[in-house]
Amino acid sequence: MPTPTRSLETHGIPIARRPRRSRKALISLGYFVIPLVVLVSLWQLATTLNPSPFFPPPLAIAENLWKLLFGGDALVTELFFTDFLTTVGRMLAGFAIGTAWGIVVGTIMGRSRAARETVTPIVELLRSIPATATLPLFIILLGGGDDMRVVFIAYGVSWFVLINTAAGVGSIHKTMLDLGQVFKVSRTRQLFTIVLPAAMPKIFAGIRIASTAALLLAIVSEFILATNGIGFQLIQAQGRFQLLTMWSWMLALAILGLLINSLLDYVEGRVLSWHKLSRARI
Amino acid sequence: MAIATPARPRPTSPPTGPARSRPKGRNTAIWRGIGGVLGLALILEVVSRAGIVSSAFLPPFSAVITEAVLLWGDPVFRTDVLATLLTYVLGMLISIAIAIPLGVLLGMSRPAYRASRAIVELMRPIPPVALVPLVLLVLGAGIEMKLVIVVFAAVWPIMFNTLYGVHDVDPATKEMARSFGVGRSGVVRRIVVPSAAPFVMTGIRIASSIALIVIITVELIAGGAAGIGAFISRERAYGDSESYLAVLAATLTAGLLGLLINLVIGWVERRYFGWEATTRGSI
Repeated sequence: MPTPTRSLETHGIPIARRPRRSRKALISLGYFVIPLVVLVSLWQLATTLNPSPFFPPPLAIAENLWKLLFGGDALVTELFFTDFLTTVGRMLAGFAIGTAWGIVVGTIMGRSRAARETVTPIVELLRSIPATATLPLFIILLGGGDDMRVVFIAYGVSWFVLINTAAGVGSIHKTMLDLGQVFKVSRTRQLFTIVLPAAMPKIFAGIRIASTAALLLAIVSEFILATNGIGFQLIQAQGRFQLLTMWSWMLALAILGLLINSLLDYVEGRVLSWHKLSRARI
Repeated sequence: MAIATPARPRPTSPPTGPARSRPKGRNTAIWRGIGGVLGLALILEVVSRAGIVSSAFLPPFSAVITEAVLLWGDPVFRTDVLATLLTYVLGMLISIAIAIPLGVLLGMSRPAYRASRAIVELMRPIPPVALVPLVLLVLGAGIEMKLVIVVFAAVWPIMFNTLYGVHDVDPATKEMARSFGVGRSGVVRRIVVPSAAPFVMTGIRIASSIALIVIITVELIAGGAAGIGAFISRERAYGDSESYLAVLAATLTAGLLGLLINLVIGWVERRYFGWEATTRGSI
């Protein structure tokens, strides 16, 4: 149950993971499902009573999306591979590279004061450039291929991870590092057993933002220049005034965003279960 | 592990924490920063002048800076920058006006909080730019179109931060105020709003950078719109080396605009909400 428990935490009471009561789980499921059902029904009702070409009924959208992705003779249609999975692949590749880069540079910035002070103005300026504004540059420099898209996503995503990693690594309690030194733990081991685990909650906060950004950047790169992908299909449908198809791809994006978010929720719960702050996301 | 887990995030923005700004340390920080910027500029300059990367694709850094300054003399570019800025300011104001009252209202009652949280969590991961093609069809490429998308993107972070902030208010404080005879609206005004304010500010900061990204994106995609994004998109379409220079200069200008906005918001946060630890997190 994702109720924030900060008020307890501020009083220093740790939140343990308790087995959930089934009744409680049912109630929180109800809180999740009922508003959704009400909202969708209202939408369905409104669009049925007052049909508009711009706003098709939600059931028609869902049905059309199903037909687009799973409607063929095979288990999935060709579009599922050429567009849906392509976007997912680009996004994940860029996300992975950007996150790795962000963690490495962020750790260096967090550990070394000289490095931090040297690159901070550069980082502040570069991350202030709205990521999508740099897309034309990437197209000019790297062409219109998939490598350009992956590098662009990685670039845009890395700032969130970098800033949070630097903050997390830089704020480690000195006692912990001293302790590592007293026990003559090697610097590399200190990094992996003390520094990074302690910075993990902050790093994860950055990764969460980065994951949402990765999807956004992937779509934008497909809007501007692509031959396939969800963003490409969306803009194509718009050009041909196929509003139902357009809505279907928008639904696909929403579902994709939700899936990624839930997956990260799960991973974060597993990796950071020891950390009480992980339950209190802002 | 208990040492590393303070009850509140107590960070830590990497640049200059108060503990680090000893007189001497501050000076070295400034010199190192200047050195870093100059070093990068030098590398870019050399890479371009030595022909490692064709200077048509990556013009010398000095040329980009010059172009960025010269662009300000171009009335078309100035109009575009102002259009972007106007959309940003209007979009943020509308979002704040919608999101804060809604967040306070929904955060006050527990069932409303839980129900709306589900919706918010569902809507949040949807990339706002997915709406661009639809809104373009419905509203055309004017400022209304941009505003609708920006507001859609910026409302969520402000609203759910307000929601959490209001929900997080210590119930004992509220009961205390009630027992001293403070009315319902008084409790909201004197207790709820002040203690949720730092959360709201965090939401505004997140929304602000999202808003800028969304505005530029919309301008890039929607051909007819005015704005920095539209300027970049137009210049890129020409395809000669002179217009590449303009693309770079405009991108740099967009960055400076973003930096300026970040600095202003950071200043407001420190000035008015500096007492609260949550605002100092760099999420």
